[in-house]
Amino acid sequence: MDISVKIGSLVLKNPITVASGTAGYGEELSQFIDLSGLGAIFTKGLSLAPRKGNSGSRMIETPSGVLNSIGLENVGLKKFIDDKLPFLIKKGAVIIPNVAGHSEEENIELCRILSATEGIAAIELNVSCPNVDEGGMAFGIDLNIFTKLVEKVRRVTSCPLIIKLSPNVTDISLFAKRAEEIGADCISAVNTFLGMKIDVKRRQPHFLNRVAGLSGPAIRPLAIRSVFQIFEKVRIPVIGLGGISTLEDILEFIMAGAAAISIGTMTMVQPDLPIKLAEELINYFERENIKNISEIKGIAHKKNRRD
Amino acid sequence: MALLINKPEKISKDHYLLRFNIHGKIPLPGQFINIKINSGTDPLLRRPFSVFNYTDSITEIIVRSVGKGTKELVCAGCGEFDVIGPLGKGFTVLKNRKVLLAGGGVGNAPLYYLAKQLKEQKNHITFVCGFRSEEYVFCRDRYKSLADEFHLVTDNGSAGEKAYVTDKLAHLIGTDDYDMLYTCGPDAMMSKAVALSSKRIPVEVSVENYFGCGIGFCAGCTVDTLHGFKRGCADGPVFDGNELLWENI
Repeated sequence: MDISVKIGSLVLKNPITVASGTAGYGEELSQFIDLSGLGAIFTKGLSLAPRKGNSGSRMIETPSGVLNSIGLENVGLKKFIDDKLPFLIKKGAVIIPNVAGHSEEENIELCRILSATEGIAAIELNVSCPNVDEGGMAFGIDLNIFTKLVEKVRRVTSCPLIIKLSPNVTDISLFAKRAEEIGADCISAVNTFLGMKIDVKRRQPHFLNRVAGLSGPAIRPLAIRSVFQIFEKVRIPVIGLGGISTLEDILEFIMAGAAAISIGTMTMVQPDLPIKLAEELINYFERENIKNISEIKGIAHKKNRRD
Repeated sequence: MALLINKPEKISKDHYLLRFNIHGKIPLPGQFINIKINSGTDPLLRRPFSVFNYTDSITEIIVRSVGKGTKELVCAGCGEFDVIGPLGKGFTVLKNRKVLLAGGGVGNAPLYYLAKQLKEQKNHITFVCGFRSEEYVFCRDRYKSLADEFHLVTDNGSAGEKAYVTDKLAHLIGTDDYDMLYTCGPDAMMSKAVALSSKRIPVEVSVENYFGCGIGFCAGCTVDTLHGFKRGCADGPVFDGNELLWENI
């Protein structure tokens, strides 16, 4: 059985990864799981300088979901490379930093430096964070701005480049297609959906930033649909994410077209879930006599174009 | 995994005592356990509860039934629960000192286990146990048995003395010397308690903000401090009260 996944020149040993934002830099998670058992770890969205993140309430639960307004709190590039990276390397993790600069220039600089840094397996460009004033989702909802950024980032990124898309657009597959045309190696779909919570006692938005990002099982059907639509338009691999909590959820994403998946919100609830699901997936492949993930990838499409 | 060994016992209005058999590390006072309410996805996040008491693998917690998750939890029958913990940073347990403990409502919970350990370390304990009114008072005798000086106060005087916790603290701090003030309760109460100590007495507070993962990687529960944002769950829940920027909390 071969459960490895190819992303450009990178080969993930299995399709189970942990998503950016809900894995930190792996330190806490490594107390619960062996990071080297994962396909990859996507670390917290990174900026050049450390970022404090948003003030006030940052998280609230919704039915089967979570609204967050963290605001890309992170340690900054220097500390990431000096302090966080060595730990992850020591743990044998496949490390994919999520790059979330404020500006085009910042993203370019981050990608240039990171892709030349030893121990970095690939870069995930975040054009989809809904919780910051500058940059963030603005890069991911306007196709012209998106195109310019991805073109420039691609030029300076020597390692595999993954683009994490925003679902807050009319047709997400247009962005995926454009990323592919520019030469991105992979698509991550999806980041959080824009949501909001009103505090009825105080008669005002719950979050200081008013809007927030919705994740968790609540968004799963929306994410499945996004991956399904993207798969129809691109040939590069898609990493599916959005509320995965069971083996069945993973299979849904794969059958919709995902080559790999990320566990995000549910890692917060059950930190050992990613490894448990990797084991369950292997057992499923054995049970169903599946030799390679490509046998079921995108199988839910009427015509399985790729086989 | 943890075993809920008794049905949740109602100990006052909205408050329940839950007893879990958890094999694992012995908790430090101020630490919490993070409980998955059911095996589904709603409620989704775990609910954190500070350790009220611990003896021979039995961890007791006090649950205030306030929302969907806690309402479901207090109606639970005995059986297995998915519990992570003990987690977080606890209180500093002094030795042979004179200490002041002040709790408000369910915030009294972590102070019981703390008082127990402080007593073992031969501290002189003054305990101010505050509740809104008599119907909310829980475990009065258990608290009283640990304290050298015990003061029960309620907002309306229906049990103990009619006073706010902070009124009582102002009086005590004004008339006697203490080596440490430990407090847990509503933010407004803790903030005032810290102000009352006016930096003469070290203060440790246990914050009760909204936790995401409970183990420190999601950055969802930050509290603003003199040294920047800290994680409520992993850098706390116990903090030096003078380090917190109370106006931002």
